[in-house]
Amino acid sequence: MSTLTFGGPVRVLVRRHRLTLRLAGGLALAAVLGMAALTLRSSRVSEVFVASGCRVDGADGNRDCMQVARNYLVSMATYNSLFDDVAVFLAALPVLLSAFVAGPLIARELESGTYKVSWTQSVSPARWLTAQLAVPAVLLTAGTAVLSSVLYWAQSYSDNPYASEWYTWKVFATTGTVPFAYLVLGLCVGALAGLLIRRTVLALTVSALVTGAVITAFTYLRGGLWPPRTLSGRTLNPVSDIWWVDVGDLDSSGRRLPNDLCSTAGTEESRLRCMADQDIVGHYLDYHPASHFWPLQLVETGILLALAALALALAFRVLRRRHG
Amino acid sequence: MKGAAIEAIGLGMTYGRKRGWALRDCSFRLPTGRICALVGPNGAGKSTLLALAAGLLRPTEGTVRVLGSDDPDGTRARIAYVSQDKPLYPQLTVADTLWAGAQLNPAVWDRAAADRVAAPLPQDARVRTLSGGQRTRLALALALGKRPDLMLLDEPMADLDPLARHQLMGVLMAEAAEHATTIVMSSHILTELEGACDYVLLVDGGRVRLGGESDDIVAAHAVLTGRARDLAPHTVVEARTTGRQLTALVRTEGPVDELAWEVTEPSLEDLLLAHLRSPDAPPLLTPSAHVPEGAAA
Repeated sequence: MSTLTFGGPVRVLVRRHRLTLRLAGGLALAAVLGMAALTLRSSRVSEVFVASGCRVDGADGNRDCMQVARNYLVSMATYNSLFDDVAVFLAALPVLLSAFVAGPLIARELESGTYKVSWTQSVSPARWLTAQLAVPAVLLTAGTAVLSSVLYWAQSYSDNPYASEWYTWKVFATTGTVPFAYLVLGLCVGALAGLLIRRTVLALTVSALVTGAVITAFTYLRGGLWPPRTLSGRTLNPVSDIWWVDVGDLDSSGRRLPNDLCSTAGTEESRLRCMADQDIVGHYLDYHPASHFWPLQLVETGILLALAALALALAFRVLRRRHG
Repeated sequence: MKGAAIEAIGLGMTYGRKRGWALRDCSFRLPTGRICALVGPNGAGKSTLLALAAGLLRPTEGTVRVLGSDDPDGTRARIAYVSQDKPLYPQLTVADTLWAGAQLNPAVWDRAAADRVAAPLPQDARVRTLSGGQRTRLALALALGKRPDLMLLDEPMADLDPLARHQLMGVLMAEAAEHATTIVMSSHILTELEGACDYVLLVDGGRVRLGGESDDIVAAHAVLTGRARDLAPHTVVEARTTGRQLTALVRTEGPVDELAWEVTEPSLEDLLLAHLRSPDAPPLLTPSAHVPEGAAA
């Protein structure tokens, strides 16, 4: 019984949302082709610039190079902002998914009564919900995998002077395992919101807001998810490519002081006096080196998946309570 | 004793604390193979009862056993249910809807049965463009395609013109006769069902007030007309005096004094209406509608 009735609900779901699926597929294809075209174009611009022998820092001493370098930088900035748009879209995808699952996929069926059609065929409510969630989960995971890798490839293919650092949210939330964890969370929050609220527009809104709030919250909490390394001393010599989490001053007892105690001092002399008054003898820097990328990713993924599992368990519980 | 299509024991359903009980203390039994009219005024609990039997809702209290099983997932494939608002996926075409029926009922789908009912419909029309009557027809096609043992139909004929109603009733009755399908049809218009049904359940105020074979229920009552006087030992359902003349619908207890009363048999409709007008009349379940002792355990 259980094996033969699982393909049916999936096929029916796919046919019912044929239009949405085609639109989403078309959009994803356009994004991939667009990024590929953009990448080839920007690498061509890079090659031409390298071939010109000019340098962006003007160290070549050739005045003719100024315009060439400027044109090159303007082009690269434009391409980079387009890549950023794709990254923003990818980061927002879990919010869209959450809204779609909560509203059109679940609450609309409950609101319009069409769930009765599914549930009074040979499909139990639990299997219906599983199918409703499995289809978007599989499709969007695949879509995100493709978009995320194409985006990563595109940005590393051409030597882009404006590429974002690994720790910015546009990179961190769209590479590694985190984007998939957000998708799963969006899906499960959507399921719970749809089943609890049962009204399309309200469920869609609440679900999008909750998922968006979690995504936003993690951009602030992220730095604390793995113990940072610390540099301290009279002078700091941080290497590049690290994520500055916290920076401040130290007094002679090693106590941490805020960064801006003496920043209002007008002159160098008053600044030194201020530092002496506050007993500031050095500075500290909490940072994540690039090697913390994976620990940070995995901890965040774990927390998100735990939240998602909680939402999903609640969703099935609500379904069982109301409908047996 | 034949098996029961539906057996309700102390069934109760509330949709929230403030909204009171839609159904309360419902105990009855519907034997298999019957065509049952589920009647009662609007808001009596008919739709709730059908949705509980279909496994769409979980009862707040009590149990409902359908086709001998407590587990709605086990019986889902053997039950067809058409709800009052005939929900169908609006973006699918008629042909797609029937295809979906086959997909969702792979073990039991009878394409010929579904196509027979759906034949007059435009196959490529989307469900959202169909008229109310056409939607009913499609919903019934989906229900009959399952070759169910039990059909639960909530106001199935309300949107149909008399001709289509007559025709679809004929299809349903033929199906029931051929496959010994149990059918429960709700309606607040009794004339829609009288003649087709051999069993009746009267639900009012969330309770079952009458249940049993229509003939037995009619036979248990009599209309007595005569000079006003004591009606004991009969149970009075409704009595009306005009001058000295008394007309009473009674549930007979023992033989009626035929010298004192003019006795006529009530029509089923009169009988049901009399019960609806007299909420204090005690409920009556014929033996076949009684849940056997010990079933609650």
